[in-house]
Amino acid sequence: MRSGRALPLSMRSLLPLLLLGLVAGLVVGVLYGWVVQPVEYVDTTPDTLRADYRTDYVLMVAEAYAGESDLGLARVRLAALGPQQPVDRVVAAIEYGIDHAFPRPDLDTLNRLAVALRAVSPTAEIGSP
Amino acid sequence: MKAGGWLVLVLGLVAGLAGGMYYAWNINPVEYVDTAPASLRPDFKAAYLTLIASAYAANRDLARAEARLALFPDPNPAETLAALAQQLLASGVPSDEARALALLASDLAAGPATPAMVTPESPAPTMSPFPTLTPTRTATPPPTRTPTVTPGAPFELSSQEQICDPLLATPLLQVAVRDAAGQPVPGIEVVVIWDAGQDHFFTGLKPELGLGYGDFAMTEGVTYTLQLAHSNEPITGLTAEDCVGSEGDLFLGSWRLTFVQP
Repeated sequence: MRSGRALPLSMRSLLPLLLLGLVAGLVVGVLYGWVVQPVEYVDTTPDTLRADYRTDYVLMVAEAYAGESDLGLARVRLAALGPQQPVDRVVAAIEYGIDHAFPRPDLDTLNRLAVALRAVSPTAEIGSP
Repeated sequence: MKAGGWLVLVLGLVAGLAGGMYYAWNINPVEYVDTAPASLRPDFKAAYLTLIASAYAANRDLARAEARLALFPDPNPAETLAALAQQLLASGVPSDEARALALLASDLAAGPATPAMVTPESPAPTMSPFPTLTPTRTATPPPTRTPTVTPGAPFELSSQEQICDPLLATPLLQVAVRDAAGQPVPGIEVVVIWDAGQDHFFTGLKPELGLGYGDFAMTEGVTYTLQLAHSNEPITGLTAEDCVGSEGDLFLGSWRLTFVQP
């Protein structure tokens, strides 16, 4: 049935065009937002690092600890990776290292840090500066 | 298709485009959960670089340090590390980290290590299964290791000479440190004391002037005492003294002190 204010094209022919435009625009918009011009994260934090980089970060902490013997500093450095317990971070790094065939000396270095962290009692951790 | 049809199509496109971008940017943006060190915030980036240097100070694996530094798009990492060391010293951060940065900066400037594409994803394949995954309290703690830049006898003053260089805008206390083999030694802390205070600097922060070189700007009329951090031999009475230029003009001269390991 036609109304008195009839459009040049019928609604039946307009609706598919509108939907086609919407879908095409949606696809182009998502592509633009995800691929062409995605949100840029230029100021990220260490806790967002990829697993391999995160593991290497922990390894660096362990290597530095091997030279400095400063467990407090090692804990501070590990804290940058997030709220997880430092020893859990190191154990996770050891597991990653085993899975990815890290050299034995690296695993030894990580293990020494894990041992040192595990040796600190929770009470001592709270009381330490 | 008539004009109205095109208009509706374009309207749909615009609305869809806006909706798609809103979805991609706000509702479900790209999540960067697996970022690379290069995208770190500047303060975290500085901490990361410092950690690379601290790890290097412990293991002296230059190829590994270079591979780690290669994660950052920096054409001159040695310069960046040296500048970072200066910043740390200025902010009063423990000198161990500044020394580590200076050491790595110097070693980088001295020459690249054997190229090695060491990445966290590609460790050396010569790994045997690690037997003790779970740390235990009964394990022997690691031996205490104090980082020492140059093991051996303390450095001794070899020469002290006045430098009359009219091109130097400020008189300097120039220090050069060499080991027993005559090689320049970076990362040596030098303490400078005067009536109103004291300061310190490290050798190797200006690799273009020599790996064992470091300097300190003197103030006219102030008398300084200079001492290497691990030496018991203070050099006293260092004052910027007049030099005579080629045309008879006067300017303040510098001091160059050379320390060697006997």
